Amino acid sequence: MSAVQTALPGPGPGGVQVALRRTKSYLSKPWNSVLLVLGVVLTISTIAPLVTIVVDTVTVHAGSIDDELGTGRGFTLANWQDLFGGMLRGINFTTPLLNTVAMAVIACAGAILYGGAFAYLVTRTNLRFKGYLSGIFMFPYMMPQWTLAIVWSNFFSSSEVTGGSDGLLASVFGIHTTAWIAEGLLPSGLVLAMHYAPFAYILIGAIFRNMDANLEEAATILNTPRWKTLFRVTLPMVTPAVLSTILLVFASAVGSYPVPHYLKFTTLATRYVEMSVNRQGEASILAVTMMTFGIVLMITNQLSTSGRKSYTTVSGKSGQTSKVNLGAIGRYVVAGVFVVLTLVTSIYPILAFALETFLPNPGDYSFLKTWDTANLTTKWWLTDTNTNEALYGQYGILHNSLIWAAVGRTILVAALTALVAGTIGLLVGYCVSKNIRSRWANFVNSMAFLPYLMPSLAVGVAFFIFGSRLGIFNSILLLVIAGTVKYIPFASRASLNSMLQISHEIEESATIQNISWWRRMTRIIIPIQKSAIISGYMLPFMSTLRELTLFMLLVSQTKIVTTMLNYYDEMGLYAFSAAINLILIVIILVFNTLVNKLTGASLDKGIGGN
Amino acid sequence: MTDGIAIRPCAKFPDEEVSSNMRNVVRTVAAVAGVASLALVAGCGGGDGGNGTDDAASSKLQSIIKQAEGMTNDELFKKAIEESDGKTMYGIGNSSRGADAATEFIAALQEIDPSYSGKIEWSQPKNNSIFTVLNADVNSSSHQYSMTLIQDANQIQTKMIDTGVLLNFVPKDWKDAKGVNADVDSTPLLTLQTLSKVFQYNNLAGTSYGNVWDFVAEGESPMFMGVNSEPVGKNFLYMLTEDTYATTLKDAFDKLDAGQQAAFKPTVDAMADEAKSLGLEGDNAKYALAWIKLWASQYNEQTDDGPIEQQLVTTSAKGATGLLVYSKLRSIEESATSSVKNVDIAAYQDGYAGPGGFGYKHYLALPKTSPLPWTAMAFISFMVTDEQGFAAWGKDIGGYSANPNINQDHTQDGVVDGKDEFPAMDDKGHDWWVSDDGGRLVLEDAQYLAKVAPVMSDWIDMIVGSR
Repeated sequence: MSAVQTALPGPGPGGVQVALRRTKSYLSKPWNSVLLVLGVVLTISTIAPLVTIVVDTVTVHAGSIDDELGTGRGFTLANWQDLFGGMLRGINFTTPLLNTVAMAVIACAGAILYGGAFAYLVTRTNLRFKGYLSGIFMFPYMMPQWTLAIVWSNFFSSSEVTGGSDGLLASVFGIHTTAWIAEGLLPSGLVLAMHYAPFAYILIGAIFRNMDANLEEAATILNTPRWKTLFRVTLPMVTPAVLSTILLVFASAVGSYPVPHYLKFTTLATRYVEMSVNRQGEASILAVTMMTFGIVLMITNQLSTSGRKSYTTVSGKSGQTSKVNLGAIGRYVVAGVFVVLTLVTSIYPILAFALETFLPNPGDYSFLKTWDTANLTTKWWLTDTNTNEALYGQYGILHNSLIWAAVGRTILVAALTALVAGTIGLLVGYCVSKNIRSRWANFVNSMAFLPYLMPSLAVGVAFFIFGSRLGIFNSILLLVIAGTVKYIPFASRASLNSMLQISHEIEESATIQNISWWRRMTRIIIPIQKSAIISGYMLPFMSTLRELTLFMLLVSQTKIVTTMLNYYDEMGLYAFSAAINLILIVIILVFNTLVNKLTGASLDKGIGGN
Repeated sequence: MTDGIAIRPCAKFPDEEVSSNMRNVVRTVAAVAGVASLALVAGCGGGDGGNGTDDAASSKLQSIIKQAEGMTNDELFKKAIEESDGKTMYGIGNSSRGADAATEFIAALQEIDPSYSGKIEWSQPKNNSIFTVLNADVNSSSHQYSMTLIQDANQIQTKMIDTGVLLNFVPKDWKDAKGVNADVDSTPLLTLQTLSKVFQYNNLAGTSYGNVWDFVAEGESPMFMGVNSEPVGKNFLYMLTEDTYATTLKDAFDKLDAGQQAAFKPTVDAMADEAKSLGLEGDNAKYALAWIKLWASQYNEQTDDGPIEQQLVTTSAKGATGLLVYSKLRSIEESATSSVKNVDIAAYQDGYAGPGGFGYKHYLALPKTSPLPWTAMAFISFMVTDEQGFAAWGKDIGGYSANPNINQDHTQDGVVDGKDEFPAMDDKGHDWWVSDDGGRLVLEDAQYLAKVAPVMSDWIDMIVGSR
C-alpha cells in the first residue's frame, strides 16, 4: 500500500462512494488486483483440498468399519473414536506416528550433517575438485527417492537375514549384514538423508557463499582458534538456513511413502495406504495428522522468522571472501573422502541401474559371479514384441510405446506445472514485495507456501478425493493443479527474494513516464532478475519430473514415468525401472545444462544461480 | 538472489496500518474464498452413495443391460459400433492387460466396419484406489468410466454391489457356451477368469513340503504379499475359516506325524475360545484360526509376486517358500544362478495334504453411470467368449477363463524338445486345481467374505502388527 493511500482518512459513516472510490483506487494498481485474485485462487486451491480431507474423516464409507448402519452414506465420528480408542490404536496410529518422527529426525540430521559439511567445504575452503564434487553431489536429489531405497535393498538383502535370495553384497562377497541395516528405520532415514543432503547443500551453501567474511576475519585477527571461529562465528550465521533445511526435510520425510514402503518400515504414509481397504476414514485422519505437521512447521517457521533479526546484521554481501586453508595435502584428502562418498551415493546407483538393464532376471547377479557374458542380455532394451514372457508381456524399453508416451506426458506435466507455478509464483513474489506491509499480502504469501510444508502424500490424498469428486481423476489437468499448488513456493520464494532486491524507484521512474505495467514487467523487472525467475520455473519442472508420492493416487500407473517406474518396481521389473531412472537423470541433466548455459542458474548453485 | 527456497522472512510484517477500508475488503475476500472452498467441497458430496439422478440413470442402464443380455455378440458389436464410432471409451481395471484385450476388441470391430474409429483408454489405478475412483466417478458431475475389470470379492460385495455402484451384465453367447457354469460364475458379477496363487518352494535344500502345515512350521517364513496391500490374500485367510476349508486344514493336520501335531497342538487348542469369540461356529474353525495365526505372524512380506518368484528360483534361496501367482514362473530366464528347476509346486507332490493355494477372480461390470454401455458390454462379451479377447491372460499358466472353450492348454508348458525339463510349468488346469483330489484351491465367496471380514480383519491386523 502506498504512502498516499495510507495517508487517506478511513471511510466515514455512510461514505459508500468514498469507500468505492478508494477500492477502485486500490484495485487500479495492477499488483493489488493481481494480489486479490491470487489470494482467492490460492485460498481455494489450498484450503479446499484440506477441507475435503477433513470432511472425509467424518464421512461414512461403504464397506468400511464406519458404515455401522450399512447405508454407505452420512456422517459419523466413528473413525476418530476407533482410531484413538480402538484396540488397533497402537498399530494404526501410535507406532506409525513415532516411527515417522524417528525416520524424519534421522533424515534431517543426516541431510544437515552430510549436506552442510559438504556446503562448508565447497564454499568456505580451498577443497580440490569442487566443480566435479558439486555436480555429482546433486545426483541423489535428481533421482526419485525410492530408487535409492531399492538400490539399498538390492545391495544389503540376504537370504539369511531378510529371507528370499541374496543381494549383491551377500551374493558376490558372501557378506550377510544385520537386519537393522538391511531394512527398517535406519536405512529409511539414511536413504532420505542421502536424497535430501543435496537440498541441504543448496540451502546452506547459498548462505555460506554469500556470507560476510568480516567477522571471521576479525576473529582471526584476534587470534581465535579456527575451531572456535567455526563454532562461534561461522555456524551461528547459517542457523536460519539450517532451520529452514530442517523444516523442509522434516516435512518431506514425513510424507514419504515409497522409501519406508520398500524398506519395510511402517510410517503414517505406509499405514495410510494399507488402511484404505476398510478404514478409509481413519486413513484420512492419518493424512490430517501429516498435514498437522505441516501447519506446526509453518508456525515454527513464523516464530523462527521473528527471532532471525539477530542474524540480519551479518547476512549482507560484503564482497569479501575468506577461504579456510585445508593444507596442501588436506585439500586432496578431504576431497578424496567425498569422491568416495559420492561414488557410493551418486555413481554406484547409476552403475547399478545400468547393470540391472542387462541382467537375465531382475536381481540375478550371475554375471558378477561368473564373468560369463552369457549371463547378460539385451532383451530388456531390444525386444520388439510383447510375447516374451520373461518381460511380463512388455515390449523392450526402446520399443515400449507405454514408456515413451509416459515420458512425453511427464515432460508435458512438468512443463505446464513449471509454467503455471512459475508464473503464479512470480506474481506472488512481485505483488507481495509491492505490499510488503500488508497483512493480506502476508496471508497470500503464507497460503502460497503452506502446501510445501504439507507432506506430499497428504496433499496427494486431498487432491485424489477432491479430483475424483470433480471427475478429473487420471487427467493431466489434475496433475498440473496438484503440482502447481505444491510447487508454487519454489517460484514464489525465488521471486519474492529477488523482487525485494529491486528498488521501487526503478519501477516508479518508469511509471512517471507512463510506461504500462505490462511493459514495466517485461522490459524492466523480469530482465533484471531473469536468473532468479527462471530458477523459479526450473525447480518446479525438475521436482515434477521425479515426483511420485504426490501423484501416485491421482492417475493410473502408466500415465507418467514415476508412476510407471513405481509400477515396475512393485512388479520386480527392475530393468525397466532402472532404465526409466536413467532416462529421468538424463532429462534433468540436459535441462539443467541448458538452463545453466542460458541463464547461469543451476541446481547445484541453488535457485538464483551464481 | 541468495538462499533460494529457504524459508526466510520475505520481510518483517509489523502490525501496520492497512486502512480499515482495505481491511474490510481483505476480510471479505478471505471469507468469500473460505466459504467458496467449503461450498465447493460440500458440493462435491459428503458421503457415498447415489442420488436421484443417478438412480434414474441406473434404472435406464439396467433396462439396456436386460436388452443386451438377449443379444448375440454380432448384435452387440453392431450396437457398439453405432454408439462409440469416433469416441473414446474409458475402462479401469486391476489388470494392465485390459489394454491388450482392448486392442483386440477394436480390431474385431474394425473387421465388421473398417471405418470404425472408436478408441478404448485403459487405466490401472494403484493398489486399492479403484474402489474410491469408481465410487467417485458415479457420484461426480461428469462420468468417465464405462466398464471395469475388478478383483476382491469382499470389497466388491460391500462397496460396489450393496451400494449399487456396479451393475452386472451376463452375455448371451457366454451363458449359452458349452461348459460355462453361469450359476457360479455370474455372481456376484460376471467372472472373466480365476487366477491361482499356489504354494511353491525352492527345492535346493532337499526339504519337501508335503503338507500345508509345513509352511507354518517353526522357522518357516514364506514370502507373501502384504495382506493389506493385496486384499485377495486376506480374503484367502478369511475363506479358510469357512467349514469346507477348515475341514481341509483339519484333515491335513491329521496327516501330520505325532511330533508335528504336538508342535501345532497348543496353538490349535488356544484357538478354540478365539473361534467362539469371533463368532465362528464350525467344529474345525480352531484349525483354521491356528493356521492363519501362524501364517500371519510368520510370513515374509513382499511388494509383489514378481520379486517373490525372482528370489525363489535362485540358488541362494535354498529352502525358501512362497504363496504367489502361478504364472510368475513363466517370466524366469535360465541363468547360472536362477532356474525354474529350483522350484517345486507343493500341490504337485505326491501325497500333498491341504489346500495347494487359493483362487481369486477378475470380475467384469459396468458402473451404473456408464457413458457408453453398449460398447462396454460388447467389450465384456468379447473378453469372455472370444479366444482373442481372452488371449492377453490365456497365454499364461494359472489363469482360467470361466468359459472353458477359450482357455489354452498349458499342460505341456514345461516340455522342451520332447523332454519335461520344467515340470513346475506343466499346469494341470482349472478342473484339477479346484478338485478335492487335486489342488484343492481355496475359492472366494463374496457373501461369506462380507460376513466374516468385519471381525476377522482386525484379528489378523493385530497379529500382523504385533510381530
